[in-house]
Parts: sequence; structure tokens; C-alpha cells
Amino acid sequence: MDESWALAQMTRIEVVIGGEDVPLITELLSEVGATGFTVVSNVSGLGHSGYHQGRLLFNDRNALSLITVVLPAERVRPLLDGLRSLLAHRSGVLLVSDTWVSRPEYFQ
Amino acid sequence: MNTTDELLAARTRLLVQVDEAARLIAPLWPLSTVIAVNPLWDLRQMPFAEAVTYASRVLGICGYPSPSLFAEEYASQRITNDDLRAALGDCPVTHGGKGISDVVVLTATERHDLAHGTEIAATTDREVAKWSAAFLAGMVPTHAASGFYTAWRAIIPSDPTLRRILGKSGRGRLAELPTQPEDAILLGLDRLGVPEEDRVAELARQLARMPGWAGHAKWRSRWAAPYQPGPALHLVDYLAVRLSYEAALSVAATNGEGAMGSSAFYQHHRGLDEAPRSCEARRLEPPRLDVEAFPADVREELFALSGAEAAQVWLRAYEGHYRDRLLDSLNTEVDGLSTQTPSAQAVFCIDVRSEGLRRHLEAVGPYETFGFAGFFALPIRHQPWGSTEAVDLCPVLLRPGSRTMEKPHNADVTASRHLRGRQVEAGAHMMFDTAKKAAVSPFILAEASGFLAGPISAAKTFFPRSYAKLRSALRASLAPSVATVIETDPNDGGMSDEEQALFAETALTTMGLTRDFASLVLLCGHGSTTENNPYASALDCGACGGNRGGASARAAAWILNRTRTRELLAQRGIFIPGGTVFVAGEHDTATDTVVIYDLHLVPPSHHDGIAVLAADLERAGAALAKERARLLPGVKKGRNAVAQVAARSTDWAQVQPEWGLARNAAFIVAPRSVTAGVDLEGRCFLHSYDASVDPDGVALETILTAPMVVAHWINAQYYFSTVDPEVLSAGDKTVHNIVAGVGVVAGAGGDLKVGLPLQSLFESGRTYHEPLRLLTVVQAPQIRLDAVINRNPVLRELFDGQWVHLAARDDEHDTWKIRRSDGSWVQWRPAATYTEEVSTHG
Repeated sequence: MDESWALAQMTRIEVVIGGEDVPLITELLSEVGATGFTVVSNVSGLGHSGYHQGRLLFNDRNALSLITVVLPAERVRPLLDGLRSLLAHRSGVLLVSDTWVSRPEYFQ
Repeated sequence: MNTTDELLAARTRLLVQVDEAARLIAPLWPLSTVIAVNPLWDLRQMPFAEAVTYASRVLGICGYPSPSLFAEEYASQRITNDDLRAALGDCPVTHGGKGISDVVVLTATERHDLAHGTEIAATTDREVAKWSAAFLAGMVPTHAASGFYTAWRAIIPSDPTLRRILGKSGRGRLAELPTQPEDAILLGLDRLGVPEEDRVAELARQLARMPGWAGHAKWRSRWAAPYQPGPALHLVDYLAVRLSYEAALSVAATNGEGAMGSSAFYQHHRGLDEAPRSCEARRLEPPRLDVEAFPADVREELFALSGAEAAQVWLRAYEGHYRDRLLDSLNTEVDGLSTQTPSAQAVFCIDVRSEGLRRHLEAVGPYETFGFAGFFALPIRHQPWGSTEAVDLCPVLLRPGSRTMEKPHNADVTASRHLRGRQVEAGAHMMFDTAKKAAVSPFILAEASGFLAGPISAAKTFFPRSYAKLRSALRASLAPSVATVIETDPNDGGMSDEEQALFAETALTTMGLTRDFASLVLLCGHGSTTENNPYASALDCGACGGNRGGASARAAAWILNRTRTRELLAQRGIFIPGGTVFVAGEHDTATDTVVIYDLHLVPPSHHDGIAVLAADLERAGAALAKERARLLPGVKKGRNAVAQVAARSTDWAQVQPEWGLARNAAFIVAPRSVTAGVDLEGRCFLHSYDASVDPDGVALETILTAPMVVAHWINAQYYFSTVDPEVLSAGDKTVHNIVAGVGVVAGAGGDLKVGLPLQSLFESGRTYHEPLRLLTVVQAPQIRLDAVINRNPVLRELFDGQWVHLAARDDEHDTWKIRRSDGSWVQWRPAATYTEEVSTHG
């Protein structure tokens, strides 16, 4: 990453999980002090339990949701601990990657 | 990880453990929007039999109808030997489940109580119930955004009870609790000696001690909208308070401090059980079956089974009998098809109470009726005119996406008078309520207005209908009625033209009404008018989130009448003729009257048609009211049945204004031709579906994943409240007291009641509701149906796990098939054929 871009490094965590579990995930994010997140409901895609169409018109709870959050690196471990223990019981996807943001103060 | 990270990680793991433990608990919606829910919904990943076993060990429920009910039904031939043979020949019974027998059924303190004769768990119940109620009633000072635990922690040192139950040093320990609720739970678990691997089981049983308060907390944490007003009692806060008490009481008991160190403190706590009692312990009734009365082939197999296994067979036999009767009654290709042009089409909610009205309406004239979820595919947050609160009108499975507003049709003098009248009425209510609840003013209030109370009570008791009419007249003079319209405006959070067209397309396609429109199409929601009934919203429309459905119907009709909507629909291949007008109505299920709304929006060309429709709806409603009167307790024969039914809705002493959805049993997804002319006895949810306009199965998927799930919740709520009224019903209505608008308790305190009141399920001690698991009947190509099931885990869970039974046929020429729990299909075989087999081989 070119330093002249003046971007700050953060960690991006993406979780694909059943809509019913979104309130729990947001609780975990709040616990580790996340200042914001994005939820996309009714997402589609292929996973080990088959293809999810993402077209349930009147049921957000039983469709899959994608949650994206960006955190400073030091808050990631506690969140991962909670997410790992959740995914030990329930199906879902957890992706962790580096990312860069232009206004790091929004994510502290 | 550093110490802070470790603490945060411990908290996040705990939050997941709390969530896992709370799967046992059903969310409990507040009284203003009572939602029927499967009490074991979050256990649906297990098959029905396993979930019931698990819940019986942790929650202490009975998951099957009682042996005495089966004995009665066998004696009356409601369950026959053939039904039992068919059930025994069906797929094998389920024997518990993996790991189920290892479930811990007692908390650490319950074990202590049993071993040492203390009452730590019961004392905790009492204190937690007391503070939960006080917090939700706004009687505990709270700071902005502070939760139950924080508020409780701040006030608890001044609770005089504390010193008595904990002693002086115990009280001091409670005052030193951590500031965060998560840390309080961790500390409590640590002090109670619960290892991390046992936490979920411990927390589950902690929640199971009072499923009502835990259910309220689960609703708040997992289901309530973020904008939900009022004090927030979350699961973590609730458990933090519970475990803080339990830990403090345990230490006090060990140290011999306070009441825990002496004799038992609460000898007569009210509303709470002292210790969990298993289903077996509660059902001590001897089996009333005469073994010798059974044919040898049935006897040998049935009586070799264990209690739970036999209960599964009995239940399947009970359900099989109904299924055979229903499938046998449904029309084949030659029956029930009308060739008359309909004078109007009418779309009713799928609610089982619509079935009778549809049947009678079709009998009085050439009407074509449809069934569709009563929110008419519009998930809206609706702002009634003159009200400060908006309501969410959609199933709780989704969040409202758009706003609708009710406005005066003409902003004239009458509209202003109406609004002023409403303000006066609201002001008077508020003044009366405040005066009633304050410290001194109740005495003044009693002096000032007490002389009116007696005559008003007498009038409400002895002349309920006249009193209701008088009250309506007074209200009308104070706030004269005003013509309004419900609209959606994209500039005010409403729907754009495109969104409106998409809604219209979805609604019409899903109900199978995309061509041959009549000149008049009625969209009919429903609601129930009852008096003095905390459970009133349970009788309203579930698809409208436990609200009345008229507003949804009005919004849908407004959208479907817009020229722009129709232009966009035409681009999508749905052509609504210019001469077709949609009108909105509402069926009052307590009186079977139908009101038609917004006549001021109807062009004069359709006034005559509406007058005829209104008259026919009145005839159909009267016929239905007569039919229902035969089943309602206390209706006198030979007197005007319709008037008697109507009188119940205005009678404040009436605990059974209507039977609601009692006896619900099946959900039928098919064109009306399959059920037309068949008396389904108000037991079926009817969803219209025309497979020919749904080649990719989108409509079928929508129907099965939303309306069917709602129907299953209702069905399961009725089922479990009936099979275990002690734990899973709300008990007797006559001893209910409302707590902070969130629920009721029996008598003076204790746990919030869950489930349905006894009066909704039983009559004079006899079971009125037949506890059967939902039977879904679908007419659609099997390949499409299988594809929809296979791509939706929730449907696989419900069908494979036997939470819901499924029967289907490709079309009206086909024969019925039954889906088995392994996903295979077998030809439907009525139980009667089993006799023939026995005779042949015997």
C-alpha cells in the first residue's frame, strides 16, 4: 500500500449467517466496541449445505444475511473468539481480511 | 491476548452461550401484539420427538396429549383401530436423540436446594419476578440507555427484603457486583462452581425456571425492533440479575447468613413452583384403556412400546384420522368447478376463520374467493390518523420496509373536529389513568367519580350491547367520523411507483389472481372486537403482526387502484381492466360482520355492486354466526343466535367471546376449486395457489416459507398449550393480572404466563382444541415442491422433523402422496385399507 494514499490499516470481518442470528452478531459487535457495521439480508450463494437462492420475500429470519464490520486489529481477537464458538454450533461463513480506510477515527 | 482481550473474549463466548441456552425459550410478545409462536421453535433443528424429549427434561413439559385424551378419543372412535394400525405401520418411532439423555436438568442451586432443604432457586424466582415487573412498569429509576441489570444494581442496596434473605454481610456482597451484566453472569457462574462446558445447560435451566420472563427477555433481545419503546429487559441483564441472586444466596446459605441460613424463608410464595416437576410426575392419572378391548394385532405392538413411543403412535393415529377425512373430502377434477361469471372476487386472509365466511359467501351468490396472508404482501409501518404511535403491519418474520399514512380525504372542518375530539378523549383517559396510579389522587378520584362507577358497571354487565352502542354514539358526537385514505408516499418513507408495482405483482401472482378480474375485487382483512380481554390481539391478524387487518387491505386497494400501478403491471404482463375497482373490507371474527371501507373512493359506477356485495356479506356472516353459535358455550337454543354471538363481543364478563383459531389443523395451498363447496369446519388455513402462473416456484416458495411458517406457529402454540396447560398455557383468564402491558400473571405475582388461556382451548374441563400437528396440503408439481423444500433448510427441518406433515398432488387429476421424514413420497393410503389387509391375511 502506497503511504501517500494516507490510508489506515484495519481488519475486515465478514460473516454469512442465518437471519435469526443477526441480533446475536450485532450484540457481539457491540461488546467489542464496533462503532458500525453493515447487514445485507437475503443473500444468495453456494455453500456446503447447498445453494441459497436469497429470494425469500416475506421471511428475513430464515434467509442468509451478510454482516460486514471493520475493526482496529486489537479488537479482532475477542470477536473471533465469540464468532468461532458460535460457528461451532451453527452453519455460516467467517472471512477475515486486511483492509484500509480513509477515516480511521470512525472505526476506533 | 492481554487481560482486556481475555475479558472481552470471555464475554463474547458467554453471549454465544446465553444465546444457545435461550433456544429452549420461546419469545413472548407484549400484549398489544400477541403473536402465536411454536414454543420449541428454536429447537426445530431436532426432530419433533427429540425436541420434545429435550424440552421435557429441561423445561419440564409434557409434549404429547395425555393418555386420558387418547382414551376418550379411542372410545368415541375419533381414533380407530385402523388409525392405530396405520400409525404402527408408519415410519418407526423415534427413541430420544443423540446426547439428549445427558442433559442436565437442574441448576447448581436446585441441586443445593434438594440436598439441603434451602429455597435458593424459588427465592431467586420471586425476587427476579418482582424486579422485572417493577422495571418494566417504570418503577425503577433508570438512566438513559441503562438496562435492567444496571438499574437493579443501583437500587438493590435499598431493598429491605435483601437484608432478611441475605443477612448484613450477604447484602454487602451484592452491593459489590461488577458494573457489566456479562461480568456479573461470569462471576455468578464461577461462584456457583459451574465449569465452562456446563454453562449452556446451566443457563438453559436458569431460563427455564421462569419461561415467561425469560421469553419476554428473548423477545426484546432477539425479535423486538430497534425502535421499540419502553424499558429494555434483555436476556443478558435478566440472567445477570438471576445469577447475582443465586450466587449471593448460595454463599449466604453456606455461611449460615440471613434466611438461607435459618428455616425456609418463603413458605408460601405465590405463582411459582418450588421445584421442577417432570411430565411423568404431573401425570399420575392411571391409563383408562382396557387393554383387552384392542384387537390382538394392535395390542401386541402398541402395548410393547414405552410411554413416549406409544404417545407418538397415538398422536400419528389421531392426526392420520383427520388427514384421511380431509383428503377424502377434497374435490377431484369433476367437482366443485363453477362456470358462472363472478359478480365480484373477494380475497380473504388465510386465517381459519375466513374459511366459513368464504364458503357462505360463495353459497349466497356468484362470488369467487381467494385466500392470501392478511397483510396483502405489504410489509408496512402504518401511521393511523390522529394517533401518535405507528404500528408494524406484517408478519414478525420480517421488518416493515415502507411507511403508510392515514390522512383525511378532505381536510375540512369535520376532520379538525374529529381530531380535537380524539385529543379530548385521549386527555381524559390520561388524566384518569394518572389519577388512578398516583399516591393520593385515587381517593379523590373515587370520591369524585365513584357514584358513576356503579351504574356504568351495571350497564356493562346487564346491557352490554346497549352500553356499547351508547359509548359509540358518545364517541361519534365527540369525534365525528371522517372519511380518510391510506396512502404511501415515497417522499415520506413510503413506496415508489416501481415498488408499488412490484408489491402488486407479487400479491396477485402469489394468490393466483392475474387474469379474469371481476369488476369488483374485495380485499378483506380481519380483526376481533372484544371487551376486557388482555389477549384481544391474539384474536387479530397474525399476518399483520397481531393487529387488525383493515389498514393493510385499505393500503393494498389504494395501490391497486392507481393508474400508474396498473400501467407498470401491464408492462409485467398483468392487465387489470379499467372497469375493475379494488375495495377494502374487514371481517370482525367475533361478530362475523364485514365493514367495507373508503366508499368515498369508489366511483359511482360501482356503488350498486358494492351494495349487493355488502348485503351478501351480511347474509353470509349471519349464516356463519349461526354455525359458530352451535359451538360456543352458553348460547341458548331457540333464541336469535346471531344476536347472541354479537352480544359476546361487547360483554366485558365474557371469557370466551369467540373460539379464535381453536381446532386449526391444516394449511391448504391450492386453487379454490380443490376446496370449493367443502365444509372444512373452520379448521383450515386456505392459501390460494395456481401452479400454472408460477413456473419457477417463487410463489410456492414464498407461501411455504412465510404463511406456512406463521400457520405452523399458530398450530404449534395451540398444540402445546393444549397438551401441557400447566407449563405452556396462560392458565385461567379469570385470575389474570396485567403486568406493565407486557404480559399477565396469575394472581399477585410470579412468572409471566405463556401460551394461550385455558378458555381458548377447553370447555368445561374437556379439550375443545384437537392437538394435532399441522398438515400442509399442496397442489403443485412434485418436482417443484421438492426443489423448494430442498433449497430451504427451514422447510427441511419442519417436514423431515415431523413438525409439519405434508401431503401433495401434482394437479387435480393426480392422487395424493404423503412425504415421509426421509424426503421420500408414498401413495396416500387411508387407514381403512389396513383393516382389509388384516382381514385378508388374518
